[in-house]
Amino acid sequence: MLRHILLCGLLLLASCGQNGEPDIQLGNAWARPTRGDAPAAVYVAINNKGEADDRLTGAFTDHAAMAMVHQSELADGVATMRMAGEINIPAGSRIEMVPGGTHVMLEGLRAPLKTGDSFELVLKFQKSGDRKVTVDVTKAEQL
Amino acid sequence: MSLSRLRLALWLVVGLVALGMVVLIWQRSEPQQAASTALGTIGGPFTLTASDGQPFPSSKLNGRPAAIFFGFTHCPDVCPTTLARLARLRHQLGQGEDAMSIVFVSVDPERDTPAELANYLTLFNTPVIGLTGTTAQIEQVKKQFGIYSRKVEQPGGGYSVDHTASVMLLDKNGQFVATLSPEEGDQVALDKLKRITA
Repeated sequence: MLRHILLCGLLLLASCGQNGEPDIQLGNAWARPTRGDAPAAVYVAINNKGEADDRLTGAFTDHAAMAMVHQSELADGVATMRMAGEINIPAGSRIEMVPGGTHVMLEGLRAPLKTGDSFELVLKFQKSGDRKVTVDVTKAEQL
Repeated sequence: MSLSRLRLALWLVVGLVALGMVVLIWQRSEPQQAASTALGTIGGPFTLTASDGQPFPSSKLNGRPAAIFFGFTHCPDVCPTTLARLARLRHQLGQGEDAMSIVFVSVDPERDTPAELANYLTLFNTPVIGLTGTTAQIEQVKKQFGIYSRKVEQPGGGYSVDHTASVMLLDKNGQFVATLSPEEGDQVALDKLKRITA
């Protein structure tokens, strides 16, 4: 009998984890200024404070024709940049994009980014849907 | 044959063997000499076009050390990160902007006209020498410095360029001395820069 209760309890707990919601919070979004028609890289911190995993599936902004999640890599001394697949954001984890790694590349900017500007970027999540974040344009020296 | 003659002949054999060994050791040490010559062949004179549209002979770099980075202006992440790092390291050296030249050589001469470079380099609020050229000129300079680059088509149009991420360090005589890797810490990089600017 006790065993059954324990088992039921465990099943209940397990299903709690399954049915929990992700809780996506975005912050610390920044980009360096750009010149001419060069693309920009946006770095964002993604925090999943919820109980379920979520997945970053894409991005868009009114400020650029295209927004793509990209990944820079260093292999044998050569820097490469490719489209990143969908990025898993496990429950309780924080992912901070930093230069030289994952970033959101903006191609076809409406206007070059200037230090002090800010604009809105939307990140698309599988479960949490579209989430907006304000991107601050820093100085180019920002690291 | 007398015993003394035999002794002489044996000494002759010993002498020959010793001579053979000396030759063998000398030959073995030769590849090391070749390696040090190879180091000396990185770099060398070149002429490209500066961001003001004027020819830029590499001799213009002489007189102060230089940090040369190969990249392209449509590179949103790695290139501005590297140039910002070089600007910051030069600032940390505390010897002013004349202590070391920062040089940005385009591996995308198709898009990077002198005007495009000039515009791009105003981003960093510190002097950076921008160089571009014809595709043939750029290929030649890449070869001199052992730089790899390759155009990669992007899904959705346009292209990116894969390229060597290391920075080449030249002393004040234009001689190649070391590289800076993005993977090494700032303290290691700063120590290297201190050595070449000392």
